[in-house]
Amino acid sequence: MSGVAIQSCGACGRSWQFRRAACPACGSSSVAEAEAGGGGTVWSVTTVLRAPLPELDVPGGYGIALVTLDEGPRIMCRAEAGISIGDRVRVALGEDGLPRASRA
Amino acid sequence: MAHLTGVAVTPFGKHPGRGPVDLMEEAALSALADAGLPREAVDGLVSGYATTYPHLMMGTVMAERLAIRPRHAHQAQVGGATGAVGIILARHLIAAGACRHVLVVGGENRLTGQSRDDAVKTLAGVGHPVHEVPLGASIPAYYALVAARHLHETGASEADLAELAVLMRRHAAAHPGAQLTKPITVADVMASKPIATPLKFLDCCPISDGAAAVIVSAEPLQGAAIRIAGWGEAHTHQHVSEMPDDLGLGAKLAAAQAFDTAGRSAADMRLLGLYDSFTATLAVFLEALGFAAPGRAGPAAHDGRFSREGRYPLNLHGGLMSYGHPGVAGFLAHVVEVVRQMRGEAGERQVADAPLAYCHADGGVFSSHAGFVLERTA
Ligand SMILES: [Zn+2]
Repeated sequence: MSGVAIQSCGACGRSWQFRRAACPACGSSSVAEAEAGGGGTVWSVTTVLRAPLPELDVPGGYGIALVTLDEGPRIMCRAEAGISIGDRVRVALGEDGLPRASRA
Repeated sequence: MAHLTGVAVTPFGKHPGRGPVDLMEEAALSALADAGLPREAVDGLVSGYATTYPHLMMGTVMAERLAIRPRHAHQAQVGGATGAVGIILARHLIAAGACRHVLVVGGENRLTGQSRDDAVKTLAGVGHPVHEVPLGASIPAYYALVAARHLHETGASEADLAELAVLMRRHAAAHPGAQLTKPITVADVMASKPIATPLKFLDCCPISDGAAAVIVSAEPLQGAAIRIAGWGEAHTHQHVSEMPDDLGLGAKLAAAQAFDTAGRSAADMRLLGLYDSFTATLAVFLEALGFAAPGRAGPAAHDGRFSREGRYPLNLHGGLMSYGHPGVAGFLAHVVEVVRQMRGEAGERQVADAPLAYCHADGGVFSSHAGFVLERTA
């Protein structure tokens, strides 16, 4: 498992990331905490070369990806350099607790 | 029936020593003069917010400053769509019989009133506080994720996007109030420093000081009658992580409602005022709304479709990308330009004739969409 927390709907099976009291698809309040398996596909990716905070600025920038998890949710991750849209990735939490995507 | 009866915009760029309220006051008084209305005629007020002056009650701050006592006053806050939503709200207040003259105003000293780092950090806060902001995402990064996806889906190139920056700069050159007027080429855009791939410095709008105001009235006043013929909004998500697979969905929903309520189609339009925070923003809108084929906004711009003499003249003041972007006033400047063009008051920038126009803005990351059709009736 990935350590990435998601929620899933007991009624329709939809999964999502942002915490909610009810399913965004069917409205059921049968919401269960779940953990993403970690498999996913890159939906989009960028290399940020102008950080919003000076302390984040690093030579060569850093990658941010939107990854569509196999369970369905699209989540934002720090991304390993060089990954492209459509690539299969593994998502896991880093030491800082933030999700990271690396080539599967 | 709601009409746009007064418009005003300050030059965008640097206004050192002037705060949001100072700038909004200037634009509001100038829009009132344009409408030929005394201050006391204003019985409705929708103010924008200012990141440099995060007051809880900007609406009544502005009413007090302008010495007016409106029957309705509040502050709208939907990012870049604030001005558009303010105008639609003004239309509704008039349709409900609650007000006769509504002032919609926005302005900010976003460039000189804070450090560049503070501006970037404040704006990045539109992201999710747990799942996006801590990753080091910024507004350009959020839009870069959309831009990269757009290029992937359509096969358009970064050079195609650059055409839109070149076009905005060319239009800005004809406006004395524009912040950026030095001509640029596609090669200049491509060579500018990368911000968040695929977006480069010249794919991004600048940060500016400035203000703009629009008066929405129940009846036409002096000059040409410009009525709000149709309106639409769509709020599909807030955070880029939850945006729909269809990048243009919010724009399509809002525009479809606007064209439907106006009894018009996109093809009827003769002038456009579209939000252009980044080149990719403009490309997604032009393509989602049918003004260019998928992936072809840049080539269409290159071929002149959005130029003053083209089929769909677009942002003839230079848009956010070159006229400038001080927050809420950014899109209001599009509306000011569209109204001046429809009235035939745009001087050397004037289009041949523009009886019908479509204006559209988004706030957040393609999150909140608002658009309206303007029609010249006399
Ligand atoms: Zn469900």
